[in-house]
Amino acid sequence: MKSRPIRQALFLVALAFVPAIGEAVYFRDRVSWQSPVATSELVTVDQARVWGENAIWVDARPDDEFTRDHVPGAVSLNEDRWNELLPQFLQRWSPEKRVIVYCSAESCNAAREVAKRLREEAQLKNVFVLQGGWEEWLRKKR
Amino acid sequence: MDVVVGAIFICAGAIKAFDPIRFANDIDNYKILPWTIGVGLAFYLPWLEILCGLALVARVLYRGGLSILTALIGIFIAATIAAKIRGLDITCGCFGHASKNWSFSTHLALDFLLLAALIFLIRISSRRLA
Repeated sequence: MKSRPIRQALFLVALAFVPAIGEAVYFRDRVSWQSPVATSELVTVDQARVWGENAIWVDARPDDEFTRDHVPGAVSLNEDRWNELLPQFLQRWSPEKRVIVYCSAESCNAAREVAKRLREEAQLKNVFVLQGGWEEWLRKKR
Repeated sequence: MDVVVGAIFICAGAIKAFDPIRFANDIDNYKILPWTIGVGLAFYLPWLEILCGLALVARVLYRGGLSILTALIGIFIAATIAAKIRGLDITCGCFGHASKNWSFSTHLALDFLLLAALIFLIRISSRRLA
């Protein structure tokens, strides 16, 4: 008798794979399995440097980290002071410029969140997240 | 009561199934699993919740559905408490966008309420079988 719930549970566990796989196929172009950011929205340090003056750097880290050091010319824009910092960023922004957002490392969420808000709330296009973040920038600088 | 509990899980699962990318981000915020596994779970877990919820409502594969949902809610509670202990300020993602602004205590209270209801249903169903 005890095996019945287990068998039922195993059947449900197996059955759930069917719609899940279907949905994964449907969303295949909209989600990356490698990184939380879609590949098309990522930029490497090398690529970003090639853009030069055509890009504006956005530092999504907390204020104290930005004050300590940041990418030359970067604008601070973090979620803690979003309403205050966004107008300052928009003064520097122009439609032809690409926006590169970074936070401390590959594992941080801040750059992803700020990039998302810039796309959705500020309606900006050409917003990219720096692969590897500030750590990668420092590593490439050496 | 099983219909109500089942409907809650169907609803929670459906909200997440509509926006698996948001749910993948919610899972990722817990910082427990690699992104790839989180994405897989974001596609899979909502459908498991929906099917188990339907099992409760339709009383088909009832005990199997109850067991899975009890295990799931136990894992959610453990992950939520672990996140709080680690100082992560996150949204639970339990009800997708709808639960975005829920406080830690609100969503923990709902989880414990569901856990209590599921345990109660397991006990009733065991008594019926005995």
